[in-house]
Amino acid sequence: MPILLWLRLTRNKMRKLSAIVLILSFIYSLSGFASEPRNANMVHEKVLKNGLKVLVKEDNRAPVMVSQVWYKVGASYEHDGITGLSHVLEHMMFQGTDNLEPGEFSKIIAANGGRENAFTGADYTAYFQTMEASRLEVSMRLESERMQHLKLQEKEFVKELQVVMEERRMRTEDKPQSQTYEYFKALAYTSSPYRNPIIGWMQDLEDMKLDDLADWYKQWYAPNNATLVVVGDVKAENVFALAEKYFGPIPNVKFKPVKQREEVPQLGVRRAVVKQEAKVPYLLMGYKVPVLNSADKEDDVYALEVLSGILSGGSSARLPSNLVRGQQVASSVSAGYDLNARLETLFLFDGMPTKQHTVDDLEKAIKTEIESLKKTLITAKELEKIKAQVIASSVYEKDSSFYQAMQLGMLETVGVGWQKEASYVDKVKAVTAVQIRVVAQKYLIDDHLTVVHMQPQTTVTNAKENQHAE
Amino acid sequence: MLNKLKGMVGLLAMLMSCTGFALPNVEHWQLSNGANVYFVPTTGLPILDVQLMFDAGSAHDGSQLGQAALTSALLDESAGGLTAQQVAENIESVGAQLSTSASRDFSSITYRSLTDEKVLATAWPVFINVVNSPDFSSTDFNRLKQRILLSIKQREESPGTLAQLALYEQIYEGHPYKNPIQGTEKTVTELNVEDVRRYYQQYYVGKNLTVVMVGGVTRQAAEKLVNDLVGKLKTGVKAAQIPAVLDRSEALQLHKDYPSQQTHLLYATPVLKHNDPDYFALHVGNHILGGSGFSSRIVKEIREERGLAYSAYSYFNAMRQKGPFLLGLQTKNERVAEASTALKETLKTFITEGPTEEELLASKKNIRGGFALKLDSNKKLMSVISGIVVSGRSLDYLNNYLQNINDVTLASIKDAFQRRVDMEKMVMVTVGNSDIKK
Repeated sequence: MPILLWLRLTRNKMRKLSAIVLILSFIYSLSGFASEPRNANMVHEKVLKNGLKVLVKEDNRAPVMVSQVWYKVGASYEHDGITGLSHVLEHMMFQGTDNLEPGEFSKIIAANGGRENAFTGADYTAYFQTMEASRLEVSMRLESERMQHLKLQEKEFVKELQVVMEERRMRTEDKPQSQTYEYFKALAYTSSPYRNPIIGWMQDLEDMKLDDLADWYKQWYAPNNATLVVVGDVKAENVFALAEKYFGPIPNVKFKPVKQREEVPQLGVRRAVVKQEAKVPYLLMGYKVPVLNSADKEDDVYALEVLSGILSGGSSARLPSNLVRGQQVASSVSAGYDLNARLETLFLFDGMPTKQHTVDDLEKAIKTEIESLKKTLITAKELEKIKAQVIASSVYEKDSSFYQAMQLGMLETVGVGWQKEASYVDKVKAVTAVQIRVVAQKYLIDDHLTVVHMQPQTTVTNAKENQHAE
Repeated sequence: MLNKLKGMVGLLAMLMSCTGFALPNVEHWQLSNGANVYFVPTTGLPILDVQLMFDAGSAHDGSQLGQAALTSALLDESAGGLTAQQVAENIESVGAQLSTSASRDFSSITYRSLTDEKVLATAWPVFINVVNSPDFSSTDFNRLKQRILLSIKQREESPGTLAQLALYEQIYEGHPYKNPIQGTEKTVTELNVEDVRRYYQQYYVGKNLTVVMVGGVTRQAAEKLVNDLVGKLKTGVKAAQIPAVLDRSEALQLHKDYPSQQTHLLYATPVLKHNDPDYFALHVGNHILGGSGFSSRIVKEIREERGLAYSAYSYFNAMRQKGPFLLGLQTKNERVAEASTALKETLKTFITEGPTEEELLASKKNIRGGFALKLDSNKKLMSVISGIVVSGRSLDYLNNYLQNINDVTLASIKDAFQRRVDMEKMVMVTVGNSDIKK
């Protein structure tokens, strides 16, 4: 199996569809165990005069630290014709600045024993280094350099664009389920920018110019559009001082307000068939739902979060219990919900039917589960289990400083605010069975549903083999 | 130069002791049934991680391919009279996690939970049932068999997976490693529940078992937990040794047509066994060649210079018997010939000339500086310790690690690559809509 997969993440794996299962595997846990010392969780915040927000969590279990710079820009800030721009720019951030040769950034991090990478999502672009804690200054110096002095050069751009196209071919064109997901999103959203793929449409990549990147960089890369998050064996005062030293002198930029681009109401079920060169049929379903960012619906959002756990939070949840083991209509099935998206999003279901069943059967079976949630209250035992899982997972998360930094950076960047991280467990614990029935009735309705059936095509003749010794 | 390097290692060691970073203290004992236990007590988080590794990988499948994988997948279904639903229910009701997996060498069960007494009181008895008394009910058996058959079918959707399977088939011709871990449609269809029961009886025994535990419990508590968990497993008979891998006599180029936009290219040969004397030279060498991302030659040549691929890499995967040394990339069909030439050329130059002084220095700096990152969470500790003990390394491996890295020289890398990597015997597999030879 690939040991070092060469990653520049296109999308944050923890949050998007292929990741449904992952999202949910974060939910685990146990009751009667909420006595973790509170201050271990303490987040120190400082906002520099130029608007850069700095967040620090001290964790001295090991002499290491992770440093992340998050920018409020991503695929959902793009419009038609320039899709994929944020992600290509992320690639170019490694290709030289006024004071660093292309690749030199990575070389310096490597020489300091660091690991680094970057990822672009719909709502953010983030860069990170994980290093032995005393090297924090190295990472600050380099990140402040590329925040203000990126040098976009034609030669590097041409090459990097080819790399991104290869990335797209690998992740999407040659992966039937991923490509189906792309068509699915484009069908589900009308006016929301979530309809476009994070990596961009191939045509838009082909049309991209160096000037587009220069404008995009100028428009979004500034201290007052960024958050620096450091978690690890560091002292907050020290991090603040270094941030002041390296990022403090960078001038802020005046931004035009971001366009709202709300999704128009959906007025009826949307369906499509996507044919793919594949062997096994695949189902995608999504209902429009609110997110934490839509502040007035907070209770609904946490209820939907618990609902996703009831359906898919582990092997004893309803979908695996009833559809995989019970009726054996699904070979695999899951549900997931990204409550931390910046804009209204989808409550997703995906799955593959067993050999004896069709995608239609699977869709019907999922809908029956949804109907039952609307009619009958979930049991106290189910609710207790979800809450126990959430509590345990809040402890497991502390085993990863990277994950903790991710949470803070993401919440802050999408507009929810990092403070919400601390109240997550309590909010989930407060959700009642009645609330869950209410949100099922309110949001999981046909008029707000998009369904895609992926139909395998077998145009391939038997693979021709051709071998010879040299 | 050497003095300076040693000075830096010393500095790092000092720094570590200052910040309270201590190498993990691994405690080892053996149970009366032969199981070896390795325990790393930790402080800080109330988490317990456990991994059970049985010498029961798919290399022991014989002609019944897929046996090991199916057996492993069935363990956490119905067990000890609990239905599969109850097993999952009990584990998840306290936020514990349990999973099983099979590789060519091993079958593993992995557990994580809080150390809280109430949690352990609920989850541990279920874990005990899963390990000691899986039911292998025919309902579970048939369902999982169908699921595996579907996933075997799904392999045909992925040119990358097809390339990997075709490659193993060639480089391990005549050896059990050549077979897919999940088996083939034909062999899995023919498996019956008695095969799985027999497989479990024979291989899930004390003599085949290594236990690794990491977490916030005392030695006394760990001993009791382990005894309850695996103390009653039969002693059994140690699994037969996996046969040695035979050397190929010639190079091979194999292409499979697949209607994809990219061609996946893999280039490999079996090289590295667990605890191999050339490990450090090959490891540092590969770090320079293709194992360290942007700083490595393959990424520079394939991605940075030519924009040929998003992912290009090389690795040594150490196994019980010679695991693969593998170079890989995927590029659009039209450019595969160019990519293949560049990749081969990069490897050839590296074998002939070895790395430069500057590259060696940089890679040592990276490995040394990154050492603490390997051990900074309980999860990583468990994986590092598991790797050390199943490969038969001594428990002071980590204590000597930096010194061993430091001792690698330009000459030792060049020598190791020249002796161990013979391009005249390597296999190249391409899967995609292009034929290199056209």
